[in-house]
Amino acid sequence: MPETAALGNFAPEDAPSYESILQCMRCGFCLAVCPTYSLTNRERSSPRGRAALARAVAERKLEFTRAVKEEAFYCLDCRACSTACPSGVKVGPIMEFCRSQSHVFHPLPPAAGLLRTFILRKMLPSAELMETSMLPMRLYQRLGLQRAMRNLGVNRLLPALLSKMEGILPALERPLRQVLPRQIPARGTKRGRVGFFLGCAMSLTFPEVSRQTARVLAQQGFDVVTPREVKCCGAPHLAEGDRRTARELAAMNLDLFSGLGVDWIVTDCAGCGCALKEYEEILDGRIEHGRLEAFRRKVRDVSELLAEAGLRTEGFKPFPSSVTYHEPCHLAHGQGVSAQPRHLIRQIPGVEYREMKEANWCCGMAGSFALKELEASRRILDRKLANVRATGAEFLVTANPGCHLQLAWGVRQARMKQPVLHIMELLGRVIPE
Amino acid sequence: MIGKAEIDHLAGRLGRENIYTEKEDLLVLGYDSTPEMHHLPDVVVYPRSQDDVVFAVDFCRQEGLPIVPRGSGTGLSGGSAPVQGGMVVCMTRMNRVLEIDEENLTATVEPGVITLDLFNAVAAKGLFYPPDPGSQTISTIGGNVAENAGGLRGLKYGVTRNYVMGISGVLADGTSIQAGNKCVKDVAGYALRDIFIGSEGTLGIMTQVTVRLINPPKAKRTFLAHFQDIRTAGQAVSKIIASRIIPSTLEIMDRTTINCVEDYKGIGLPRYMAALLLIEVDGHPAVVAEEADGVRKVLESIRADAIHEAKDAAEADRLAAARRTALSAVARVSPTTILEDATVPRSCLSETFAEIERLKAKYNVRVATFGHAGDGNLHPTAVTDERNRDEIRRVHDFFSELYEKVLALGGTVSGEHGIGLAKRDYLQRQIGPGGVGVMKRIKVAFDPAGIMNPCKMFPDEAGGAGGGNAEKGGSHA
Repeated sequence: MPETAALGNFAPEDAPSYESILQCMRCGFCLAVCPTYSLTNRERSSPRGRAALARAVAERKLEFTRAVKEEAFYCLDCRACSTACPSGVKVGPIMEFCRSQSHVFHPLPPAAGLLRTFILRKMLPSAELMETSMLPMRLYQRLGLQRAMRNLGVNRLLPALLSKMEGILPALERPLRQVLPRQIPARGTKRGRVGFFLGCAMSLTFPEVSRQTARVLAQQGFDVVTPREVKCCGAPHLAEGDRRTARELAAMNLDLFSGLGVDWIVTDCAGCGCALKEYEEILDGRIEHGRLEAFRRKVRDVSELLAEAGLRTEGFKPFPSSVTYHEPCHLAHGQGVSAQPRHLIRQIPGVEYREMKEANWCCGMAGSFALKELEASRRILDRKLANVRATGAEFLVTANPGCHLQLAWGVRQARMKQPVLHIMELLGRVIPE
Repeated sequence: MIGKAEIDHLAGRLGRENIYTEKEDLLVLGYDSTPEMHHLPDVVVYPRSQDDVVFAVDFCRQEGLPIVPRGSGTGLSGGSAPVQGGMVVCMTRMNRVLEIDEENLTATVEPGVITLDLFNAVAAKGLFYPPDPGSQTISTIGGNVAENAGGLRGLKYGVTRNYVMGISGVLADGTSIQAGNKCVKDVAGYALRDIFIGSEGTLGIMTQVTVRLINPPKAKRTFLAHFQDIRTAGQAVSKIIASRIIPSTLEIMDRTTINCVEDYKGIGLPRYMAALLLIEVDGHPAVVAEEADGVRKVLESIRADAIHEAKDAAEADRLAAARRTALSAVARVSPTTILEDATVPRSCLSETFAEIERLKAKYNVRVATFGHAGDGNLHPTAVTDERNRDEIRRVHDFFSELYEKVLALGGTVSGEHGIGLAKRDYLQRQIGPGGVGVMKRIKVAFDPAGIMNPCKMFPDEAGGAGGGNAEKGGSHA
């Protein structure tokens, strides 16, 4: 929304709307699905409590205190409460506004503030800078240092945070953005032309997965256009409360993809997909609404598109294994895409699908939460791993790079045997060459 | 007000992590799900044991502080709002299932156990705890007992009261009492247990509850019937009951609700229909088959406009979707949702619906009605905006006049939500000064100092929505 007069004790720029807060009828249905309320049993760490805090600030019953900031950042933004809410309240996005407000009322200390500004305003918006920054890590792995560290157990001597940062990264390859062909032609009867939104995390940490996404899309009859000029989707900026940069990035991506002449804009990253689908709200009032709407209508998660178009299963190789599926929050709750991935998995010949308990409960990654709140993240992850273990499934499938990193790390730490696969990796293994 | 020394004293016993005094916590622990009611406690504690509860009650008595028990805060009559401030005692951390006794078919739990968790724990042993209030995914057993909560299964299986066998609790003077036990029969003295059920936290604080369990039904059949005239739907309900069939579910939705569901989900309901009935019969397969035939015959004989029967569980889910979605569909229409609880003898359903339609026009308010037709328990739900004071006044006038009719029909002002703050004036109208007088004397016998959940239930107590630490919403506009 464009800036309007200040709402209560909020700062004028990027405040949540009063309507969005007032919509909460305090029924409490969200408490049952909120991971942070489950951890703390503290009302203010629940969606209803957070909405009530925002309302108190809006109604001048409370200043924007440090505790409000803490709760805004302690929220996982997993959106499980949006799914549970009868009256359509979206506490995650309200908390994103509150995170942005936090920087007005409780700025970071200068050094941390500079680092944040550098990461959000310089590094993330530039694919080149991001790629360069990963080089030392790739070198560290390439020279065998990572294996040496892990074999010697040196990494376990690191402080918990560094140990997790070191341990969570997979083997890094060359970023996909640099090597994926700009155009990949459809195979078989053509069903349309998609613009592939290649997200930063996918390109940098899971290039092989997104290579499979492009391959699967082409095999399924779609021309795949992947523009290299793509910018970060803006999700990290919304999450960290830098809405201004998020809008700049959104506007650039909107221009880029609107000009491609494609039928759909497709991503294999749940976080990106969720952000892309919210451009309409993020840029509301700043860009002509028809353009926003046209863009919004084209955005699809890759599973959503394939389920909608109908999976062409001729020639699929059997995959005789048991598979369970963890739902990324930003896919299930953020986009309401829940049945489609399961539907695709079940169509693979030989697969025995096993539903896990609480499949749509957060894995504890939640952007930077996994690194900022190590202990809480660990407890949420343990709950997830127990549910995975109970299925006895041989493969754990998901559809988002954040979940993928966290689950793969957790499975390794817990010495569980399940490989973690992106759903497109799974399809990549069964489609004909 | 209580100072640092008192807080330290409490913390010494209860543990610092179980006490909240920061404004950000107090602001979010003085409401429940009742619109327009919000008050500020002075302190909030989370007891972990019966001894903790005794300690907290003794503390409040010595300090002269009001004491307000609370579960998950999903109440719909303001029962847990701390009208005069004081101490809110949240029971959600006393949440252990202590025992499931398969020989006596009982479960004994702490009051903070979530209703659905109890259901699942006993289901794992092949047993059934039927009460299913709408908030069962988060409501607590303690809250259910305090409000005598109902639910969709009330018609056939009864409400919370029908399952409570024993209660342990702490009275305002610090005495621990036990009321009831695992015995099927018990006529020793006054039924204190039954006085506790539905007492809305005004008599004491529960610390343990023993509930009765039954066998789960083995089979189920589901019907959805459409009606162009709501009177025919009302007749269908009366005729089903008169044929001696007691369905496990007999739910109704009116045209406004149908249209809200269509606007929200578009599941293909006919918008011109005046009412839908969702009917489920359950039990032993042979009995279910017979009752399903009976239901179908009734629906055909009164010429329901369409009759759908589910062939399998998936279709049953689809048929139930409309009713399940009703609250969501209605609640998102506007910022403020006032969910009421008018209940009449079920033979008076048609008349009640006609009155609702008349009053909607008279007061120019938007009201969607759905609910438990088989119980005569309707939820006329006003969709409004608390910033629009004129409309809010009309909504309150609408309900006031509707309750006059409900009482004239021999109904009750609350089928399952309780009196709390929201319906204090209505209670007087229903039971008269004699009834209120007896209730007040009972209250005094349990709580002579009047510190247990003050200002609730009785109209002429001090305080109220505008008094004490009032935090009324809607002042922004």
